[in-house]
Amino acid sequence: MAKAELKTKHQTEIEDSSSLKGTLASVFILGLFIIVSWVSVYYLFVDRF
Amino acid sequence: MVNTAAKVKVDPRDAKLSMAHFFVAFGALALGGLMGLLQTLVRSGKFELPWGIGYYQILTAHGVLMGLVLTTFFIMGFQYAAVSRTAGTHSPAARRTGWIGFWLMTAGTLMSGTMILLNEASVLYTFYAPLKAHWIFYLGLTFVVVGSWVDGAAQIMTYAKWRKNNPGKPSPLLSFMAVINTVMWIVATLGVAATVLFQLLPWSLGLVDTVDVLISRTLFWYFGHPLVYFWLLPAYMCWYAIIPKIIGGKIFSDSLARLSFILFLLFSIPVGFHHQLTEPGIDPAWKFIQVILTFMVIIPSLMTAFSLFATFERYGRSKGATGLFGWFKVLPWNDARFTVPFIGMASFIPAGAGGIINASNQMDQVVHNTIWVTGHFHLTAATSVVLTFFGISYWLVPHLTGRKLTKAMNKLGIIQAWVWFIGMAFMSGAMHFQGLLGGPRRSAFSTYGDSKQALEWIPYQIAQAVGGTILFLGIILVLVIFINLAFFAPKGEEEFPVGEAENLQEKAPMVFENWKLWLGITAALILFAYTIPFIDIIQNAPPGSKGFKTW
Repeated sequence: MAKAELKTKHQTEIEDSSSLKGTLASVFILGLFIIVSWVSVYYLFVDRF
Repeated sequence: MVNTAAKVKVDPRDAKLSMAHFFVAFGALALGGLMGLLQTLVRSGKFELPWGIGYYQILTAHGVLMGLVLTTFFIMGFQYAAVSRTAGTHSPAARRTGWIGFWLMTAGTLMSGTMILLNEASVLYTFYAPLKAHWIFYLGLTFVVVGSWVDGAAQIMTYAKWRKNNPGKPSPLLSFMAVINTVMWIVATLGVAATVLFQLLPWSLGLVDTVDVLISRTLFWYFGHPLVYFWLLPAYMCWYAIIPKIIGGKIFSDSLARLSFILFLLFSIPVGFHHQLTEPGIDPAWKFIQVILTFMVIIPSLMTAFSLFATFERYGRSKGATGLFGWFKVLPWNDARFTVPFIGMASFIPAGAGGIINASNQMDQVVHNTIWVTGHFHLTAATSVVLTFFGISYWLVPHLTGRKLTKAMNKLGIIQAWVWFIGMAFMSGAMHFQGLLGGPRRSAFSTYGDSKQALEWIPYQIAQAVGGTILFLGIILVLVIFINLAFFAPKGEEEFPVGEAENLQEKAPMVFENWKLWLGITAALILFAYTIPFIDIIQNAPPGSKGFKTW
């Protein structure tokens, strides 16, 4: 039981140190920002022309 | 030991030429910044220029000094030092070439600057015909452009020498990037050189009576869009190849960085029509094609964003940061060399998003010729690029002058960047909103006969004056730091940081250095995007226009 726990913890650490999940989240947020600003101005266009 | 030290230090003879560039650049910043302040004050409606000085005169001075002089001189000085640091000291021939380029550019700047100050050239920095300036203004700009070619040739000579001495090896990343930017600049400036030499100079000299406005504008924007990438790529050089070293991390991927620069070379030139979307006389099909090509430039920009996030996250996790964004907190926020360019990087997120809006045909109908566009390039050029240049100068100037960035100056640098950020949030933010309400760019204060719409703009114009005033404080601070680092900081050694790739086994593919291939594709894309519409523009040209002096 104790052995298994130790193994799990070890694996998590390895995964975490090379993880790029923060980068993935950041680029998604960046993409979302671009889309939201684009769509907002697109609606201004649709509204006006 | 001595040898290692010699290699990591820019040779004093090269340092002298780089510093010469920086003196002109920061001089332009001082004068151009004052003009910018005056512009925002005039547009607030609370201030009038004394002694009959015209709004469009200071607008031209601001645009030329900031957009052309500050940028070109800083970039050439920085790239010259970066090539010297990474590809080796310039040869006497290359250094002489660099000095000739520098003096040509300086002479041109003085010629054009004098004509602006004499109120003979209030044609704005885009010098749109049929506004007609004094011929010395155009000749001066020709000297600046030709000088920059000669200046750039010095970098290419040293890069070529390195390649010859190191066959089969990928060149140092910073040198490679500098040469890409120089080559892109040379290809792009052919357009502006063509309109100045074949149209504007003969016309302003009185040799011909009229000018074809559409050809002139098309040649200008063939140059005008890559111009903004010429400003941006040196900032990317810092973000990709220097910032990782400053924070103590590694370059995420050397090959990715090179590929993104090649994509910029290919796609930043055949896109000028997106500045002319509302212009009659250009076939909409070709506008569409150039908009698609413009959108291709988003790819290397997003590659850059990914790569920078990854560099930061890898570094943060190596320092034990956990969680989704824990790495963000452990970045060296007390180091001006990092924090100042970082604020620039962060500003590029709204700047880039705005750029995608500008280039989209429908959205351009909403923002074209409004002050939104001015707000946009004050985020790209005047925040992302310029803050990165300031951040570079905080270590490069003391490195070149044999001094140290002191703790006090480091702190002042960080304060300066926040002052800049706050000032720009006010000014550029207000410009964006006013633009969406239809407020025009390139125009002095007017209530347009007290029209309801124009009165709505005034609060935004006051916000711009507040922002402009804060930004001018920022300019005073950066000048204090520059003068301190150039003349008064304590003697010592300041590092020229050059990043290393995370994976040293990953050798950049040699195809990246195949200039025949990349220049061939660049030329093919330009010919594809411009040949047919250009023939159409010439064949169906309206009568030429005589010159106008509206000031």
